[in-house]
Amino acid sequence: MHLKVVYVTVGTTKFDALLKVMTSDPVLSALKDRKCRKLVLQHGNSTPVGETQLKLISTNYTIEVEQYKFRPNAEDIRAADMIIGHAGAGTCMDILNNGKPGLIVVNDELMDNHQLELARQLASEQYLYYCKVSEVADSVANLDFGALKPYEKATENMQKFVDALNELMTH
Amino acid sequence: MSTTSTKSKYPTYVILGSGGHTAEMCKIIQALLLQPSNCEKYQPIRYIVANSDVTSQRQLCAALPALTKDSDDPFISVPRSRSVGQKWLSTIFSTLWALLWSFWLIWRDRPQLVLCNGPGTCVPFGYAAYLCRLLGRLPTHCKIVFVESYCRVETLSLSGRLLLPLADIFVVHWPALAARYGHKRNLRYFGRIL
Repeated sequence: MHLKVVYVTVGTTKFDALLKVMTSDPVLSALKDRKCRKLVLQHGNSTPVGETQLKLISTNYTIEVEQYKFRPNAEDIRAADMIIGHAGAGTCMDILNNGKPGLIVVNDELMDNHQLELARQLASEQYLYYCKVSEVADSVANLDFGALKPYEKATENMQKFVDALNELMTH
Repeated sequence: MSTTSTKSKYPTYVILGSGGHTAEMCKIIQALLLQPSNCEKYQPIRYIVANSDVTSQRQLCAALPALTKDSDDPFISVPRSRSVGQKWLSTIFSTLWALLWSFWLIWRDRPQLVLCNGPGTCVPFGYAAYLCRLLGRLPTHCKIVFVESYCRVETLSLSGRLLLPLADIFVVHWPALAARYGHKRNLRYFGRIL
């Protein structure tokens, strides 16, 4: 599966380690091998990648890199062939609701890493992949993103909740 | 022609939090207001936002375009009980201050429902509502509903643990939590609702 456009998102968090690894040689080589031509980095509250480095990536790997802090990212998600993100609920939902292959990277530096629970659950149900920062290069190089299951909408279950709430409020 | 508002005089309080919490709440409110009868039943809805939160209002207005047509400002800004990484000692003071605020707002507005999904902002509101209900200030059908965050699979959030004893309905999304807290009479599990 070609990964022409890859979108990296950290939401509102600071996840320097992810940005660092995404702009490291092993990952960029892996992306190039998978025919990546564009990398979009949403850096949120992390330290942004330096301009010089962005230019180098473009020259050495023929991957155009676009970087920004925050913006409504519905378009970035839709345009991507694969999304790499932190395990925040919003990010996971965006990936799954848009039917995109996703690789969730767990932030080991967070104290209470409950994010890992969600990534693990969704991965166990084969909706996306998850890995540690140290495994990103290997994951990008080798994972079969086409093998992921499509995420069904939870409309029926949501309706059950709404019905329960309505019932509660009428007593 | 009657100009009487069909809205309930007791508002619904929806507590918003940063990032993912608001995203999840948007989906819940969208589903809730899908039925026209619910629009009447739950309106007016007041959205509580922490004063440090800059994105939630925008997110909500994008998800619910009808909001901006509401003549009354539906957002209420409140002090945050605890910021991420805040030292525990100062947390005691900021929590007390937030508690006083929430108590005053609940006393003033007498909401029929306090709906929240996990940000720290919601804890003082849950406790204030519970206390006001005990004191007889709230309408008898007032309820506190907590929807745990979608990313809580095996363990409850701190807000969840604090509000589990008080909530009339406590919703979890994943089987591990449903099994672990299934013995609680207020626990509800519908599979994942998002």
